[in-house]
Amino acid sequence: MTGGSGVVVLDNGGGLLKAGFGGDMNPTAVVPNCMAKPPGSKKWLVADQLQAQDVDVTGMALKRPIDRGYLINTEVQREVWERVLRNLLQVDPTNSSLLLVEPQFNPPALQHATDELVFEELGFKSFCVADAPSLVHLYEASHQPSLFRAQCSLVVDCGFSFTHASPVLQNFTLNYAVRRMDLGGKALTNYLKELVSYRSLNVMDETLLIDDAKEKLCFVSLDVPGDLRLARLSSKDNPFRCSYILPDGITYKKGFVKDLDEARRYCSLPANGESANNDSAESDRSKFEDKKKPELSQNEFVLTNERFLVPEMLFHPIDLGMNQAGLAECIVRAIQACHPYLQPVLFESIIVTGGSTLFPRFTERLEKELRPLVPDDYQVKIIAQEDPILGAWRGGSLLAHRPDFESMCITKSEYEEMGSMRCRRRFFH
Amino acid sequence: MEGEEEENVGPFRRTSARTRRMATRMASALASSDNRAQAALARLEALENDNAGPEVVDPNDDDEYGSDDEEDHVLMQKKQSKNMKRKTRQGKALEKKAARSFMDVLHEANLESLPPHVPTYSRAAVGPPSTSSRRYYCSVCGNAANYTCVRCGTRFCSCRCQVIHNDTRCLKFVA
Ligand SMILES: [Zn+2]
Ligand SMILES: [Zn+2]
Repeated sequence: MTGGSGVVVLDNGGGLLKAGFGGDMNPTAVVPNCMAKPPGSKKWLVADQLQAQDVDVTGMALKRPIDRGYLINTEVQREVWERVLRNLLQVDPTNSSLLLVEPQFNPPALQHATDELVFEELGFKSFCVADAPSLVHLYEASHQPSLFRAQCSLVVDCGFSFTHASPVLQNFTLNYAVRRMDLGGKALTNYLKELVSYRSLNVMDETLLIDDAKEKLCFVSLDVPGDLRLARLSSKDNPFRCSYILPDGITYKKGFVKDLDEARRYCSLPANGESANNDSAESDRSKFEDKKKPELSQNEFVLTNERFLVPEMLFHPIDLGMNQAGLAECIVRAIQACHPYLQPVLFESIIVTGGSTLFPRFTERLEKELRPLVPDDYQVKIIAQEDPILGAWRGGSLLAHRPDFESMCITKSEYEEMGSMRCRRRFFH
Repeated sequence: MEGEEEENVGPFRRTSARTRRMATRMASALASSDNRAQAALARLEALENDNAGPEVVDPNDDDEYGSDDEEDHVLMQKKQSKNMKRKTRQGKALEKKAARSFMDVLHEANLESLPPHVPTYSRAAVGPPSTSSRRYYCSVCGNAANYTCVRCGTRFCSCRCQVIHNDTRCLKFVA
């Protein structure tokens, strides 16, 4: 069952926690990193308990250990980790080492709280932290000969809490050049919640359900004005129109897409979105349809342009009123903060990872936005990870399996002797 | 204020009670038209919120973990002693820490005091876009919006959407 290393590898994401054993290809557990309580109940469900087939997540109150990407609530985190370690991985921490993926620029106070949790609360034997970009690079470089030769890459991690563009050189993240957008999957889900609640159905308490709707229905537009025109067509001709059914607590315990074929219609549109029916912009006004059709059930909502306007915010946060550069500019700024010799290499070694890069057409759109911002004589090459949710974990699994891994760790006795601050110096941040 | 309870998780709210109307937080944010900038900030803040809203510190919360249908005496005692142990070990500091937000931690970390060459969370922020051309979308239907409501500042795209906005959304939920 274990990869033989006895090292627990934990990518403690704000949305999903990925946990397993060093040396394995895939994590043993990929579970929500939160606790939730159904309305009227006193019992909190933890991590994988939320994924059970008979659990209806409607209206659940949520507690997350992570705020804005950082481990803030160690009490909640301990509940989740205990559940994962004891029930899912079935390990005894006192006999195990832990490799934890830690957010970049973690303030010392939070590092300290993390160390306390790892050594004092859970009693791990030894402990090592690594940042996500270097692990993603490590994993990809072991698979892509060109990256391996170049020894560097620009890792774009678009996760749940935020988005980082991080240059990595010889497995070290160049912290001085890292650039961050305060926008990730969580904000996108909340934005979709807001749009649906404003336009049709109050779903402000349904974070987990809207998250599911977002994952299944949202995509990145390659031509926003053109797609907006198409989205105004009446239901039969509108390639984006589809609906999502919320659980009713009786027949359906889970939310689902009403008609998957209907939801996929947009995929067969001409790729570059140059819609032939430009004249429709005028004529469709009469066909414009109010979404509050009476035959909609109480537990159903329709999406049209929301499907691409939500991920659109990654590319133009300013549209949301966030005074932040979009993803393409974020990448350019990170690369331009590096030595000029590195820049052309980084532009052709962009790795995109993180759950929010799973929106269909994400990579194509990024390339389209990036090209005009990059000098003509530079290549732009974007590498989409095979499984962007597991990228950092798999890199961690490789690192934990290296023969010199234990020498990178701090042991419990070193921690007890020297305390958190001095031990941490070994981790080179 | 009345909206607040709807917004947060009412303990016995059922699916059938779900209403087809705008979210109250949006409504109250938009209603404060005297300070739209503040409303816009509140809206951005809300993008990082969870269902339960701000954490409410409940001293009895710990007892709620685990099954509540086997509350025999022994179990209660066990739970209590576990809680006691936890509390003495961690002290009150950790309880306080748990209730903080990342922004509080950041503030305490006083990153500005570090020398300018040290990379920090604040220095990694991407910064404003080079072109600040903001696109506006209709609050009713999502189309490109060229008009602004004079009363609340919300955007809309057409007369049709303006009517819907005025009838059902604009300043509708002012107490
Ligand atoms: Zn409109
Ligand atoms: Zn108005």
